[in-house]
Amino acid sequence: MADIADRGAFATAAGQIRRGIFGSKTEAGAAGGKATLTWAVHLSVALLVFLWLFPTVGLFVSSFRTADQIASTGWWKALFPAEQNLTIRAAAPETQIEQDGMFVIEGNLFEDGAEAEISVWGISSRAIGAFEPGQTAELRRGGTITVQADGAYRMENADAFEGSRGQRVFVTATTPPEFTLGNYDTVLGKDVARNLIIYAVAALIFFFVLRFIFRTNESPIAGVIPGAGGLVLFVALALVFGLSSGAVEGAQTTDDMAGAFFSTLTVTIPSTIIPIVIAAFAAYALAWMDFPGRALLIAAVVALLVVPLQLALIPLLKLHLGIGIGKGYLGVWLAHTGFGLPLAIYLLRNYMVGLPRDIIECAKVDGATDFQIFVRIILPLSFPALASFAIFQFLWTWNDLLVAKVFLIDATGETTVMTNAIVELLGTRGGNWEILATAAFVSIAVPLLVFFAMQKYLVRGLLAGSVK
Amino acid sequence: MTTRFLASAAALALTAGMAAAGSHIEFKFPVGEGPFNWDSYNDWAASAPDLSGQSVTISGPWLQPEDDYFRDVLDYFMAATNAEVTYVGSDSFEQNIVVDAEAGSAPNIAVFPQPGLAADMAGRGLLNPLPASMGDWVAENYGAGESWVDLGTYPDENGADQLYGFFYNVNVKSLVWYNPENFEDAGYDIPTSMEELRELTEAIVAEGETPWCIGLGSGAATGWPATDWVEDIMLRTQPPDVYDGWTTNEVAFNDPRVIAAIEEFGWFARDDAKVAGGAGTVAATDFRDSPKGLFSSPPQCYMHRQASFVPAFFPDDVEFGLDADFFYFPAYASKDLGSPVLGGGTLMAITDPSDATSALMEFFQLPVAHEIMMAQTGFLTPHKGANPEAYLNDTLRKQGEILVNATTFRFDGSDLMPGGVGAGSFWTGMVDFTGGKDAAAVADEIQASWDALK
Repeated sequence: MADIADRGAFATAAGQIRRGIFGSKTEAGAAGGKATLTWAVHLSVALLVFLWLFPTVGLFVSSFRTADQIASTGWWKALFPAEQNLTIRAAAPETQIEQDGMFVIEGNLFEDGAEAEISVWGISSRAIGAFEPGQTAELRRGGTITVQADGAYRMENADAFEGSRGQRVFVTATTPPEFTLGNYDTVLGKDVARNLIIYAVAALIFFFVLRFIFRTNESPIAGVIPGAGGLVLFVALALVFGLSSGAVEGAQTTDDMAGAFFSTLTVTIPSTIIPIVIAAFAAYALAWMDFPGRALLIAAVVALLVVPLQLALIPLLKLHLGIGIGKGYLGVWLAHTGFGLPLAIYLLRNYMVGLPRDIIECAKVDGATDFQIFVRIILPLSFPALASFAIFQFLWTWNDLLVAKVFLIDATGETTVMTNAIVELLGTRGGNWEILATAAFVSIAVPLLVFFAMQKYLVRGLLAGSVK
Repeated sequence: MTTRFLASAAALALTAGMAAAGSHIEFKFPVGEGPFNWDSYNDWAASAPDLSGQSVTISGPWLQPEDDYFRDVLDYFMAATNAEVTYVGSDSFEQNIVVDAEAGSAPNIAVFPQPGLAADMAGRGLLNPLPASMGDWVAENYGAGESWVDLGTYPDENGADQLYGFFYNVNVKSLVWYNPENFEDAGYDIPTSMEELRELTEAIVAEGETPWCIGLGSGAATGWPATDWVEDIMLRTQPPDVYDGWTTNEVAFNDPRVIAAIEEFGWFARDDAKVAGGAGTVAATDFRDSPKGLFSSPPQCYMHRQASFVPAFFPDDVEFGLDADFFYFPAYASKDLGSPVLGGGTLMAITDPSDATSALMEFFQLPVAHEIMMAQTGFLTPHKGANPEAYLNDTLRKQGEILVNATTFRFDGSDLMPGGVGAGSFWTGMVDFTGGKDAAAVADEIQASWDALK
């Protein structure tokens, strides 16, 4: 039920925003008294956008940071150079060399190329700012250490340094912002994110070059060439050079993730199409065909909207096992279809009932059968409503974990979905924020594409039925 | 029809692929090398039944990276018997297994993270008892063996006690983690008694530093780390039979002895000076973030009481065993209660019996099945036959010794209590307590919730 409620809430919120914008457009030209209302609408829209964007940007920034960075500072600090207290180890005693009777360990505390500047440093956790850069400290186990502002250090001792670990140095340093693609390597496989970015940039450049070449050509084919060319180049680069250059230790491989991706598509696409087809027929019947008990049927469909799907998990799985479907794609398609149908029928029926009666009656007078009316008139006119429900159903099946776990993923481990693959990456005790943030942006990619490709229908479809 | 055709084609392809792979399994540790008991494995493998074509499915709570370690163990069984064994992990295992068992699509073996749910499912007739010989074997070969048998024995649907659970992967909870170099910098010594631990806590406060990092946050399970504290203190202030009575409610939750233990936890956790961030942040700090304070600069705290799994949450550059170490959460020198150890563990139970499943359970009795895990991750075992040399590092070996040599071993009490208490009111009650509520009032509420369940 939570899912249906969420979908409903989202639909209402989106509708309100949309109506707000429409309102501002029509009212802007009206009397000056309404200007304040317009501003209020603008401000609340801006506020809603900000409320949504703020955590999203935070997740996005976090997806480029390491676990330790996330644990130590907030993401808003990641964008600027920051003064940090760091604990860094000097090189291990085994790297010491003998110079003029002294044992010496030399090196730089910071990794190659890091431009950090040390303000104070220390060698005890009790006094982390005891020394200025350039000063020399006496080590507790004998010898001295000198640290410079750029991180260069030199340890000297008359006797050999002992132990297996290097000396701890506590530094207070200003370090530049640091970002990594490492999280994406863990989620997608080594170098996949980097390669995808390179290929996408190349494809984009190719796209603009083609558009420049064909800018004067007005034939319809010329309009398609730049987009198709860019896409072809992208696919060709990925095929020729490959996506991944290996596996990251402790993570799934690119093959695993790709397998989960196609498995998710296998679940999602039929689970979107089947309920739409069934619901469109049902909605037409409930909207335009007269038969006894029609009102009761509509009431029953509305009532089904509030039944939590969790209630049906065990009985439905028992049924699937009993009739021999078992756990598999067919089962998960049927489950998604069943859970999606009440909302689909309700939404489509409300849209269809608002179509002009004249057209349908004219068709009937001309001798059209119900099937012909449905296929020739209702379906084309209902396209916005169909598309908007398709987006809902697609997003919800794409993000689903519960239904997949119950009806698809069995103990043989041969089937999985992306959400499940991500959960596995999160580890036995969870809490890997960097993986969670990265996985969120990986799994959001396809729904975003679908949403932007079909959003104009979403808006029209949502308005459908609300204004007559 | 097409779907079925495609499905069978896919299944055929998969079987073909696996048959090809099955003939040359790559072992994580080659047979005959390393500190493993290969002889017993080879003996068993020589007489193992040929189970080609049979498959065993296992579900459990282990995910990355433990799941791959466990699959490495299963390789040895597959090589010996030609059976196909698959393990699938789930983060919501407790819910999935109930749905699957009720509907009839349960795996062959389920790995339960704690005994409460297993006992519940045994009572509903969803588990199959283990052979009696298994119980004798555990009693003989596990450290404190009888207590492991008792923990795996539950009443079946007719109320008769049967052995259902076989413990595999155990953790020790009575550990205090610290940073040895920070102790050295500050000149602190490892406390060997509870009195010394209290003195050290006060000494650190007197120096203006913060002794403890305590975090209870864990999403929906917020509060559980505090239940471990209270259980550990119960074992150190009261004899074991009082502890046992407490977990079954023969000793009421609002008994003065229990309230005293809760208040003693409050001595550590409810004092702003003793806890990093102040007492108000204890409930809000995530248990996964809390240990990081040991390694920050300057250190936020000097000690952290947590189970043996916690090194997974140390910062990346901390080398386990060198930069971080632990000491036993000590007992009172003034009370003659021995050295009690609190622990937890996962147990295996058969949810769908078959010949191959029985053979696999037999395989898990071999030392090798434990040693392969010990050599890869923070896996502890009470199996006396397993070679301690196989442990990944000295720190784990020390923990393993604590486990095998325990004079009193007691299982995590909150896991033994009914779910509504041990995974409900006890958790929330501890959050209320750290938030400033009176210990007696909290104990009364928890007892009331227990009464309501009866």
